[in-house]
Amino acid sequence: MSALVPVERPVRLSRGRGRGLLSALAPAAVLGVVLLLSWQLVVLVGGVQAYLLPAPSAIAQAVVSDAPALLSAARPTATAVVLAVLAGAALGVLASVVIAMFEGVARVVLALVALAGCAPIVALAPIFNAWLGSTSIASKVAVATLSVTIPVVVNTTRGLLAVSPTHREYMQSVSASRRQLLVHVRLPGALPALFDGLRVGATLSVIAVIVSEYFGGTSNALGVLIANTAAMSRFDQTWAAVFVASLLGLSLYGLIALVERVAVPWRSATSG
Amino acid sequence: MTTPTTPTPTGTAIRLAGVSKTFSTSSGDVVALDDIDLDIPEGGFVSLLGPSGCGKSTLLRVIGDLVTPTTGTVEVAGTIAAEARRTRQYGMAFQAPGLMDWRTVRRNIELPLQVQGVGRAERRQRADEMLELVKLTQFADHRPRQLSGGMQQRVAIARALAMQPRVLLMDEPLGALDEMNREHLQRELLRIWRATGTTVVFVTHSIPEAVFLSTEVVVMSPRPGRIASRIPVDLPYPRTDETRLTDEFQAAERHVRERLHAVLEPTTAGL
Ligand SMILES: Nc1ncnc2c1ncn2[C@@H]1O[C@H](COP(=O)(O)OP(=O)(O)O)[C@@H](O)[C@H]1O
Ligand SMILES: [Mg+2]
Repeated sequence: MSALVPVERPVRLSRGRGRGLLSALAPAAVLGVVLLLSWQLVVLVGGVQAYLLPAPSAIAQAVVSDAPALLSAARPTATAVVLAVLAGAALGVLASVVIAMFEGVARVVLALVALAGCAPIVALAPIFNAWLGSTSIASKVAVATLSVTIPVVVNTTRGLLAVSPTHREYMQSVSASRRQLLVHVRLPGALPALFDGLRVGATLSVIAVIVSEYFGGTSNALGVLIANTAAMSRFDQTWAAVFVASLLGLSLYGLIALVERVAVPWRSATSG
Repeated sequence: MTTPTTPTPTGTAIRLAGVSKTFSTSSGDVVALDDIDLDIPEGGFVSLLGPSGCGKSTLLRVIGDLVTPTTGTVEVAGTIAAEARRTRQYGMAFQAPGLMDWRTVRRNIELPLQVQGVGRAERRQRADEMLELVKLTQFADHRPRQLSGGMQQRVAIARALAMQPRVLLMDEPLGALDEMNREHLQRELLRIWRATGTTVVFVTHSIPEAVFLSTEVVVMSPRPGRIASRIPVDLPYPRTDETRLTDEFQAAERHVRERLHAVLEPTTAGL
């Protein structure tokens, strides 16, 4: 067509995603450093006893000197958390698809699941330990899986139910089957919601595994380490283990964000 | 009265007989369509024009078997509408482009073919042809949200055309566009229609748009939705921007406007 055709310009891709991330993180980093320094100062100048609150420098020291023990304790904990996230995601998506198939009752079921999500699932840890044995990771994985499943179900089901009328009508116009509507519209449309649920679930699963391990008997794990060192008033080691547990949670969060960027590329396709 | 100009209708693509539609709402029944009889010739470009709420969208959806009429019959391509939809005779585009954010432009156009079970290679080839047709080849791998509204609407039109439908149903597809893009897409739509020979039913509330595009303008009146008049547009194709400036075009526009106002006046008087 000739040059007289009005030329429409596509919306420009938001570049500088990295720069945006950096400028978003910078204030948090500054705040973090300030908080750490104040903590260090309060402990040193205020003469706070180490068993009450060790200085960040002491915790850092413990992290370095206990590194081998921390690493070996982190392994079963991380394994349990990752297994729980995978199982919770799979179970959650499966349950969501089943719930969303019955559109008449889906909202009611969803409300019940959301209600169940208000209960502190970790409180079930001793019960699961009794059922599945406290020394294996099975009981931890079970409790954590439950913690992941609930927010995944709540979010994913909402996503599956929220089909845009235009999309539904379009699929109807090409005589698409229910299965095709699910595969081509409902499931991809629910992916962003699934990841929202997964992020909440991941945080809960770290909590669930660690707390579960408090009651956990003999196996070597972060929660066990935290409980044991606290019992022996070795609070620098306790804090070091808490620090590693936080790192675990953060890495999981980052990993999920990474997977989301690959699985839901359209979410970042515009600046909006 | 038949149109003496090209393209010559060879048969009836769409036939509605005694079609009415009543919606039951919490505030009572709404008669959206009342006893509609309408024949649309094969290869015709028919616009439905009328004030909002007169049942244009409902009529289009009844033709497309997305809304079941309360009474009456709808025949499309020689069968009942439900069968026509089942055998995928329709291409539809609505006011909202309704593209899938999770698919690239090309994969959006491939969607109806995928639903139909067309193989990967052929799907891709057909999508590329459609992209060519709407002049968006260079945006094949973009995401819908990276495109302007006008470009998205072109993708939606390409998607509607991908199955090479016997019948193209469009509900104010250009409604959200600015004047420049609107006229540009009108020209493209005519080009595509003439190239493919599909039957088009086109909902609009713009008089010049209806006149420029159509072989026939159907004016509808509200409460209850009825066909007020059918106006053949005897302007020769191809129609260009020069066509808009001709006396014949302006006379046709005036004629449609008068019929539309005849519909509007009793309504405003009744309020
Ligand atoms: N699904 C529906 N339920 C109830 N009323 C409806 C529905 N769809 C359309 N209507 C009513 O039918 C009438 C015609 O609507 P519509 O076909 O959308 O008109 P138009 O497209 O000409 O603006 C309006 O009064 C509208 O409120
Ligand atoms: Mg409408």
